[in-house]
Amino acid sequence: MRMIKRLLALDGVNVVCHFRDDGGFVEGYGLMSRDDMVRLARFAHDYRRMIQGNADQLAMFTGMRGWTPPRGWIVRGAAQSVCGVGNLVCMVDSAGAPLNEILLELHEVSHW
Amino acid sequence: MVILDDLMRLPGAMAAFEFRGSGELLEHRIAYPDRINPTTLDLLAHMCSANTSIATMQARGWEQMTAMKGFYPVQEFTLIGFDWSVVVSGLRRERHKQAGRSSLPPFTGVVLANESADYEAAFALLEGGGPAS
Repeated sequence: MRMIKRLLALDGVNVVCHFRDDGGFVEGYGLMSRDDMVRLARFAHDYRRMIQGNADQLAMFTGMRGWTPPRGWIVRGAAQSVCGVGNLVCMVDSAGAPLNEILLELHEVSHW
Repeated sequence: MVILDDLMRLPGAMAAFEFRGSGELLEHRIAYPDRINPTTLDLLAHMCSANTSIATMQARGWEQMTAMKGFYPVQEFTLIGFDWSVVVSGLRRERHKQAGRSSLPPFTGVVLANESADYEAAFALLEGGGPAS
């Protein structure tokens, strides 16, 4: 799964991590210690599960199709943002990063 | 509300809305009433409010644990669903807090069709301008 490295070539991408379905760290690259990458993977796994549960409940309560299964999420801070798609998570600069392109690339790489 | 009308001009915009920090829906615009209604928007607003709060807790904890900065306060939260996405922002509230104002404006959000969603444009619009008067 070294293909996730190509995400680092995109402007503003600082870290990318791949995790298993149980949240276990598989691999990560970028400007972060391995210990923090393991924590980032754990956070992304937990957050993904929460998002999935919320989207399921939204669909159940409203009857509106098209929310589930969710494809991803973005949490955007003043300087740093975190994006998750599938079992991948990346940390990007909030300013100037080509977010649309990053999301497309995450979606594509997450299927490999 | 000018911001809601501007958000409705984004590619793929299905609805734009404002909500309290506690999640109650306030103002809204809907482009396709056959697909999304105010009841759905209200529940969506509550979900976004909850997620933003949890993300804020995580950002706070992450910064304390790692000494990394730039995550807190959380400005926007985005859920990318299978066909639809929702982008919500609390940035206007943060600007009011930083200006020392006690009365905070509502959160603002937009629902987009994924096939034409432009997240960068949505963030740019939600982050534009200064504190609401």
